[in-house]
Amino acid sequence: MTAAARSMVRTNAPRRPRAHPLEWLLIHLAFVAVSAFFLAPFLWLFGAAFDENATAYIHWPSAPTFNNFIRIFTEHDFGIALGNSVFVSVATMLLVVVTVSFAGYSLSRIELRRKDWITYAVLLLQTMPLSATMVPIYGLARQLGLRNSYLGLILIHATIELPFLVWLMKGFFDSVPRQLEEASWLDGRTKLRALIEIVLPLARPGLGIAAGLSFLSAWAEVLMVIILVDQQSMKTVPLAFYEAMRNQGGYTEVQYGVIAAMAILYLIPVMAVFIGARRLMVRGLMSSTRGL
Amino acid sequence: MARVEYEDVWKQFAAQGAPAVRGLSLDIADGELLVLLGPSGCGKTTALRMLAGLEEPDRGDIRIAGTSVVGREPKDRDVALVFQSYALYPHLSARENIRYPLKLRKMSRAEQDKRVDHVADMLGIAHLLPRRPAQLSGGEQQRVALARAIVREPRVFLMDEPLSNLDAKLRVHTRTELKTLQRQLETTMVFVTHDQAEAMSLANRIAILSAGELQQIGTPDDVYDHPANLFVAEFIGSPPMNLLEVTRDGDTLVAADGWRLPAPLTRDHSARELTVGLRPEAIAIGTAGQAAEVVAVEPLGSEVIVDVRVGEKALKVRAAPAVRPQPGSTVHLAVEPGAIRLFDRSSGSAFH
Amino acid sequence: MTVAGAGAIGPRSIGLGRTFKRNRLYFAGLTPAALLLALFFVGPALWALGSSFTNRALVGIDAANPRFVGLDNYTRLFGDPDFARVIVNSIVFVVGSAIIGQFILGLGLALLIDHAQHRGFRAANFVYAAVLLAWVDPTLIAGFLWVAMFDFYYGSLNVALGLFGLGPVNWFGQAPMLAVIIANVWRGTAFTMLIFLGALRTVPGDVYEAARVDGANAWRRFWDHTLPMLRPIVALTLLSITMSTFGTFIVIQVLTNGGPSFQTEVIALYAYHEAFQAHEVGYGSTIAVAMLALNLSFAVFYLRWSRARA
Repeated sequence: MTAAARSMVRTNAPRRPRAHPLEWLLIHLAFVAVSAFFLAPFLWLFGAAFDENATAYIHWPSAPTFNNFIRIFTEHDFGIALGNSVFVSVATMLLVVVTVSFAGYSLSRIELRRKDWITYAVLLLQTMPLSATMVPIYGLARQLGLRNSYLGLILIHATIELPFLVWLMKGFFDSVPRQLEEASWLDGRTKLRALIEIVLPLARPGLGIAAGLSFLSAWAEVLMVIILVDQQSMKTVPLAFYEAMRNQGGYTEVQYGVIAAMAILYLIPVMAVFIGARRLMVRGLMSSTRGL
Repeated sequence: MARVEYEDVWKQFAAQGAPAVRGLSLDIADGELLVLLGPSGCGKTTALRMLAGLEEPDRGDIRIAGTSVVGREPKDRDVALVFQSYALYPHLSARENIRYPLKLRKMSRAEQDKRVDHVADMLGIAHLLPRRPAQLSGGEQQRVALARAIVREPRVFLMDEPLSNLDAKLRVHTRTELKTLQRQLETTMVFVTHDQAEAMSLANRIAILSAGELQQIGTPDDVYDHPANLFVAEFIGSPPMNLLEVTRDGDTLVAADGWRLPAPLTRDHSARELTVGLRPEAIAIGTAGQAAEVVAVEPLGSEVIVDVRVGEKALKVRAAPAVRPQPGSTVHLAVEPGAIRLFDRSSGSAFH
Repeated sequence: MTVAGAGAIGPRSIGLGRTFKRNRLYFAGLTPAALLLALFFVGPALWALGSSFTNRALVGIDAANPRFVGLDNYTRLFGDPDFARVIVNSIVFVVGSAIIGQFILGLGLALLIDHAQHRGFRAANFVYAAVLLAWVDPTLIAGFLWVAMFDFYYGSLNVALGLFGLGPVNWFGQAPMLAVIIANVWRGTAFTMLIFLGALRTVPGDVYEAARVDGANAWRRFWDHTLPMLRPIVALTLLSITMSTFGTFIVIQVLTNGGPSFQTEVIALYAYHEAFQAHEVGYGSTIAVAMLALNLSFAVFYLRWSRARA
């Protein structure tokens, strides 16, 4: 039998078919406990978002309402934040996809003696914690006039996942055989056309990860926004959410319902991308080692 | 050491349409080396894995030394299996790999060491014992896997294409060794392969499987000289048996281009459609007999394979190294009557 | 662009000029990414290093014209009792939430889910998704959710404890470090789980079959084969989650903002507070430099180990 036929036989047959009822019970009890721990906060979130008088306790509102969602637009200028966030995230995504396509391809094909050193240096950058760069990026952005500007937000967000994505794309391009593009050069195509017509389509999963991850990180990222933006007109969703949360408490009662509604809108694109391309995104996020 | 019996064993996998093994019955004698031979997907590996206890049959019984083992865990069957991939434990040294089954049997440390060293000497791998699998070549890994099986002194050895990942030269060398080893140990062995040369050289008996069904079981000579059906006839032998569709004319058989062959007289197969099987060495190239056109000549050193055409029908003839007819020339073919095999064309089975 | 520049393959070491000429298109392709990385990764690191030798402030005269103060900031850092406290807090936080919490829970969940999947228990996929959900949501939301969970009067956690006759616990007052650790474990466990689930899937099935035939029961197969085969990635995983936990900022800022009375002030928060609340950008930069240096040493270890594996 060939190895392929053999492995098919294996996967068809479960490795350990029988389970003791006690084992079933214990495993499922553990599952219930784990699920309760991980899902309880989300259950609360969905209950609170539709409850005008939400408290910190998990319960489903007696009279579910969209008022919280209406209030974030009428009282908290959430519309501006939403518009800014969509613009910044999409622009970041486009910039990243173009940049990493060129950089990943070039890094894959360039002939240098110490090429792997570049790769390691790039990965080293990826391990830099964003929180350590908050102070210097603030100072730098202020001197360069990049605070409270779309350009600043886009450039800095584009850079956050860049080291990882360049490395990832290099990997995808390494797996595209050179003969394909060499054949198309001989057919008379320029290098740029060969890249766009022949190589990029073959690296599509990588482009998908790059697009999804750069969009999500620009959408969700908050540290850079905190230090880069203090004008109301430049607020993005994470900042609006952050401020709404920070301005609560003290002597006033926390308006959990309104903030929960914001959280839902903040969360929707993230969930949409993950549900649409779960495997790809999990793989990307896992190897980037830097959560959202 | 034990006799192994399969009795009407069936196995169907959920994700596959046809059963992997259908109604397999085999009786393997104590100390015998039986080869399960067949093309990919014929069910031979499944049959082996059911004996090991890695799969359970849907129907039928499997017995070792007269006792049914169906439903028993692999560890309770006292069989050792060598995998095609060797399945060495990657995190253990060769010594620890070989020792592992003994450790599980709660054998004393001294006894473990004694046995491991003995087997390692026997297989000439004593110098490899401290190394990990990743530091061993394919051939060395194969030996360690073999040692891990032998050290247990099981009742039955199971081999799942253990030689197929070796290069050609090493494969031939190892199979000779394996055969000698099995003789020495006198342990029953079931050996799965798709390589007919391997099967012929190793086996006491060969069981040929196709599409989950047993086609024939017999000694290598049996299956070569008297294939039970057209499948076996085509599967065994390299180049394979020439098959000619014939019609009957009295006591003679008429093939393409009016080639007349003497029919074996004693048998009654009057009304059926017949196919004649001729081994390449059953045809002689000479000056008299059926005329044929030479298409190509393949010199193989010890022999020459001559491709000829009789009418539209292509045949392969095995000839002495000196025979070198010119392609395009005409030769004459003579057939030895005793070497003619007859098959029922519709059912495929042979007449004996 | 022309095909003339295409002769990328040929003998090496002809000299820098030739190498550059042959690869000039590729250098051009790398330029945009290199500029961004230089500007926003290398740039801030250098800026922090530069500022750490000054008395740069957020506002006032020292903001416009920072003065060179030599190693003053570093002398201060090593004599700063608050900084010592921050380092201890950071270590407690990393050990508690990454090494103990995320690692043990993540490994346990990976083994449990892998086992349940082999048994054909459908619930395994549900649990997997639940753990993943906590990881993919933005950090800020994670912080907010746990603010509510830990709420003293109505928080679900205290209500749940009440069901067992326990509590209520004033989480942020009595056990602030435990609270931020729980929140971070909740959020970060999926990473370890995914790493080990992936590793479990790469263990070849026939090794287990060989062990079964050799006489190992399920327990022995787990102890003798599963765990040892996971061992090589343990160190890498630990280092990786240590690095990411070391930089934790948002979860703690939202929950406790380092308090009460400095109990949960970790290094990232301290740099931020010194720069933006005490307005001492120079000193804040010094802390950032210390943080980057620590992280760099982790990262060098990480890359060496992962290279050694590959």
